[in-house]
Amino acid sequence: MQRTIVTNNPAVWDKYSANALFIEGSAEQVLIRVRDMVHQGYELISHPLPASLRIMFSPYRSVIIGEKRGAADHLEAEIAEESIWKYRQKMSSREIDAGNNADYRLIDLLLLDAALKEDQGGGQPPG
Amino acid sequence: MKLEIGRINIKDIQFGDGTFVQDGVLTVDREGLTAFLKEDERVAGVRLDIARPGEKVRIIPVKDVVEPRVKIEGTGAGFPGVTAKPSQCGQGRTHVLYGAAVVTVGDIVGFQEGVIDMWGEGGRWTPFSKTCNVTLDLQVVDGLDTHTHEETIRLAGLRAAEFIGLAGRGAEPDEVLTYEMGGIFEETEKYPNLPKVLYAEMMITQGLLHDTYIYGVNAQTILPALMHPHEELDGAVISGNCVAACDKITTYQHQNNSVILDLFAQHGKEINFMGVVMVPEHTTLSGKLRASDYTLKLAQMLGADAVVVSEEGYGNPDSDLLMICKKCENAGIKTVLITDECAGRDGMSQGLADTASEAVAVVSTGNVSHVVTLAPAERVIGNPESIAVLAGGWKGALLEDGTLMCELNAVIGSTSEIGYHHVTCRQY
Repeated sequence: MQRTIVTNNPAVWDKYSANALFIEGSAEQVLIRVRDMVHQGYELISHPLPASLRIMFSPYRSVIIGEKRGAADHLEAEIAEESIWKYRQKMSSREIDAGNNADYRLIDLLLLDAALKEDQGGGQPPG
Repeated sequence: MKLEIGRINIKDIQFGDGTFVQDGVLTVDREGLTAFLKEDERVAGVRLDIARPGEKVRIIPVKDVVEPRVKIEGTGAGFPGVTAKPSQCGQGRTHVLYGAAVVTVGDIVGFQEGVIDMWGEGGRWTPFSKTCNVTLDLQVVDGLDTHTHEETIRLAGLRAAEFIGLAGRGAEPDEVLTYEMGGIFEETEKYPNLPKVLYAEMMITQGLLHDTYIYGVNAQTILPALMHPHEELDGAVISGNCVAACDKITTYQHQNNSVILDLFAQHGKEINFMGVVMVPEHTTLSGKLRASDYTLKLAQMLGADAVVVSEEGYGNPDSDLLMICKKCENAGIKTVLITDECAGRDGMSQGLADTASEAVAVVSTGNVSHVVTLAPAERVIGNPESIAVLAGGWKGALLEDGTLMCELNAVIGSTSEIGYHHVTCRQY
């Protein structure tokens, strides 16, 4: 089970660099790269969007991608596309909250840790 | 199973000697409560305050709201599995200090919002402007990691609600609500011609500041679980999430879940209300597929004709909502979805990114992007710097006179996806 984390979060890169693809850019650019990879046939493991509005304003986003298969999965492609649409819609009237970068980096990392544990089947929260 | 909720109406609140209710006034022993909370060695300091309806007070950043209660008869005292030993919730008699609330305040991370205004425009949008609030602003000892910090504040709020709730032990309730429901087969025999309705309650379960607990179990780790509706009304479910201010389900709202109460009101009249399926919202697609399959399976096993589904949060949970909807509808089970929408400041944008032809009955609980104007407060409880976080999302939000413009996003409970709030729908 090969996993790649597409991320623009330096804290995630520091911890998972062996399995990460670092995006020098915005959270939106992470979502776009994820969408492109899903269309190329990579499996979408974690949902590209967060579960709460405030995290939508975060400058950082980390998404787990699996192995490349033969063709894109229709549901995954739809989710990847809609995530960009939804992100743009929400951010059209907002600005990225740049004043709390350290906390956003930390929470993005901790939520990713939890998603990786869930992906491994245990679902046990860290800590 | 029979549950009696005895409501002791609280119309005012004050600090004083001892914790008791007299003539509708709740007195709280400030020193006693402080000492009780400091029994947790992770608590370095406690600031207690009071906020009454109508006062020009702003509470920010709010983490959770809890209703003070006490168990009078039966098992399930406290919050079983969290503040007390595991025991069965949902039976016997519970006394509620109705109209009072414990509000936990404090930064765990710098970007928390979550505002309660006790008056004016802001007060119109949050249900907790109408409660007499004891606010609890905790300082924790140095060196705690964020998980432990969150847990310390979460437990303190629950323990404070228990401490204050004891005042209900000797008081005579102003009103007693009785909820009684037999086994599923028994109820179906009683109401053979009524449609069998299940409630699927989605919960944010994705990690730090995004968790929900059932009998103390982190729901991130569970398969969808069938619960008797009484259990949630009696303290089995608590909130551990606090970054989705407008649509987080506070512990108070779990204790008073409007969907459960409304379904109860129709039980035996228009529907046969069968129970609640607690559905975790996972981060992974596999988790979402598994949870939605499992929810459908439980609905089919129970022979449900319809499922009411409420969401918590915004973003990836929208996918879970529609997965459950599509799977149930395609299996011949009708669905009603309850969600808030992100329809732009003018309300004209498409509210949900995800659409499905199967989603034919959707209840909106409000537009999270609606802009509200909050006048300057005379007193701020919590961290005044958090007000800048509210205004930080867009230019021109903080006016010179201190008036603040923000989206409903920031207001606690303003678009509650279980309908415990002040927004309503009108057909015109």
